[in-house]
Amino acid sequence: MTKEYLLFMLINGLSEGMLLFIIASGLSLVFGVLRVINFAHGSLYMIGAFVAYSLSTLLTTGSLMSFLVLLLVVPPVIAVLGFFLEVTLFRRVYREEHLLQLLLTYALVLILDDVVRVIWGGDPRNVARPELLAGSVDILGLALPTYNVFILGVGPVVAIGLWLLLYRTRSGNIIRAAVSYPDTLGALGVNVSWVMTATFMLGCWLAGLGGVLVASLASIDLGIGMQKIIECFAVVVIGGLGSVGGALLGSLIIGTGITFFQLPFGRWALIFPYLMMAVVLIVRPWGLFGRPER
Amino acid sequence: MDSQAVNQSQSGNLNRPGTVAIVVALVLLPFILSQFGRTGEFWIWVTTEMIITGLFAMSLNLILGFGGMVSFGHAAFFGVGAYTVALLMKKAGVPLFLALLAAPVAAAIAAAIIGWFCVRLIGLYFAILTLAFSQLLYMIVFQWYTFTGGDDGIHGIPRPEFLGPTSYYLLCLAIFLVCFMLMRMIVNSSFGLSIRTIRENMERAKFIGINVRRYQWINFIIAGAFAGLAGGLLCELNRFAQTEFLHWSKSAEPILGSLVGGMYSLAGPAVGSAVLIFMKIILQQLHRSMVEMWAIVLGSILLVVVLFAPGGLASLYQKLFRKSDS
Repeated sequence: MTKEYLLFMLINGLSEGMLLFIIASGLSLVFGVLRVINFAHGSLYMIGAFVAYSLSTLLTTGSLMSFLVLLLVVPPVIAVLGFFLEVTLFRRVYREEHLLQLLLTYALVLILDDVVRVIWGGDPRNVARPELLAGSVDILGLALPTYNVFILGVGPVVAIGLWLLLYRTRSGNIIRAAVSYPDTLGALGVNVSWVMTATFMLGCWLAGLGGVLVASLASIDLGIGMQKIIECFAVVVIGGLGSVGGALLGSLIIGTGITFFQLPFGRWALIFPYLMMAVVLIVRPWGLFGRPER
Repeated sequence: MDSQAVNQSQSGNLNRPGTVAIVVALVLLPFILSQFGRTGEFWIWVTTEMIITGLFAMSLNLILGFGGMVSFGHAAFFGVGAYTVALLMKKAGVPLFLALLAAPVAAAIAAAIIGWFCVRLIGLYFAILTLAFSQLLYMIVFQWYTFTGGDDGIHGIPRPEFLGPTSYYLLCLAIFLVCFMLMRMIVNSSFGLSIRTIRENMERAKFIGINVRRYQWINFIIAGAFAGLAGGLLCELNRFAQTEFLHWSKSAEPILGSLVGGMYSLAGPAVGSAVLIFMKIILQQLHRSMVEMWAIVLGSILLVVVLFAPGGLASLYQKLFRKSDS
C-alpha cells in the first residue's frame, strides 16, 4: 500500500465527508432552532436527487450549463417543499412531546419514500457529470476524479457561507437567538414562527443541494435516503445536535472513516457509522461539541 | 395523555364473559372459514398473520406504552427470531417446536446486548440508537450472504406434516393467548408498576430506590423475546425469512398498531395491528397497485393520529362520542 494510494483514499474520504456535511448541517441547523429531529431529512435529500435526475433528462447531457441549472433550481424546489411541510405539519407539534414529533417525521418518511417509489420506481439512476468535471485532475502527481475534488471544494464554501450567515448577518443573529432564547426573541417583536419556517427551508435547501451533488457522484436509488439519514444521525451524534461546527467534524470523521475501513473490511465498512455512533452515544451522549441538556 | 394512563391502574382488566366469548369465537373461526374453500384458506392465513403481528405489537408496547420509550428498532428482534427459526430448521434440521423455543431466546440475547447500550440513553437519543442498531443488524444480515442468504433470504422452510393451515392457526392462537396472559402478569406485577412509575416520573422513581436502568433493560429484553417469538411464528407461516423482517419499515408496523389501538392498554396494539392488516388486505383486493401505496396509507394514518388523536384512534372515538353527548 503506497503513500499515493492512501492520499487518494483520503481525498475520496474527505469529499464523501463534505457531501455528508452539506446534508447533516441542514439537519443540525433545523434541530437547533426547531428542537425537532427530522427523520424525513434523508427523504428530502433523496427527492432532491431524483428531481435533479428528472430535470437533467430535459437538459443537454453533460453540459456545464445544465449542471448549473440543476444547482440553482433543485435546492429551492426542496426548500419550497419544506415550506409547505413546515407550515402545514411541523408547526403544529412544536409544543407537543418528543414522541409525537418523532412520529410525525417518521410518518413523513413513510409517505415521502413511497411517493418516490411510485413516481421514479426502484431502478438505480444517475446524472451525467458535466464535461468540465468528468475527467481527472493531477494533484501531487495523483490522478484524482475532478468531481470528487469539486465536492471537496463545495463543502468548505457551504461551511463558510453558513458561518457568515449565522455569525455576520442580522438574520444569523436572529436564528442564533431563536436557538437560545426563543421566548425573549418573541418578546422583542420578532416573529419566531417565521424564523423557524425560514430555518427549516434553509435545512431543506441544503438537503436538496446534497441531492443534486450526489446524483452525479454515484447512482441513486430508493435506499439512499435512509442510508444518508442514519449517517447524518451519526454525524450529529458525534458533533453534537444543533452544532454546525460539530457537524463538519463529524462528517469528516464518518466520511474518511467509511473510506478507510473499506481497505480491510470491504463492503462491511458501511457498518462504521453505526459503531461510531454507538461508541459516542455511550461515552459522551451529547456529542463532542454539544452541551449536556437532557 | 399521561393522566389517562395513571387512572388505569389494572391493565388488561378482563371482563370475563366477554373475553370467553372472544376466545371461543377465535377458536371457532378457522373451522368456519375452512368451509369456504380457497377464499377461506386465504382468510385463515390472514387471521394467523393478524395474531402474529398482534403479538409483535404487544411486545413493542411493553417498551412504548408501558415503558414510555420510543424504539424505532424493534424489528431487529422480530428478525432475529425469524432467522433463528429459518436457520435452525433449514440448515440444522431442528424440529419446529425446538426452533420456536430458540427464537425468543436468541432474540432476548440480542435485546440484552443492544438494550444494555440503549437504556443508557433517554428520549431522542434512545430512539436514534435503537434505529441505528436495528439497521446495523439489517446490514449484517444483508451482507453476510453465505450465512443468511443476503437479499434472497431463506426459502423453503420445512413444515411438519401434521400442521395444516387450521392447526397452525390454532397453534399461533394458543401461543398468543399464553403470551397475553404472561404479559398481563408482567404488566400488573410490581415490576410492571415500577416500569410505569419510571415512565411517569423518572426522577421520582430513582428517589424511591428503583434501579431505572436495570428495570428498563429487563423490560427491553422481555419485549425483545416476545418479538422474537412472533418473528419465528411468521417465518414458519410464510415458510421463508427475508431481510425485510429486520428493516426499519417493519419497526413502524407495531408502532402504528399501538397508536391505532391505543398505547395504554394491553390488547389495544393487537387490535390496532389486526385493523391495519385488514385494511391492507382490503386495499389489495380493491386494486393490486394499491399495495404500492401501502406505506403512504400507513404514513397518512400516522399523521392523522399524531395531529388529531395522540391517544390513539380509540381516544378519537371517545372524543367524538362525548362531544355528541354534551
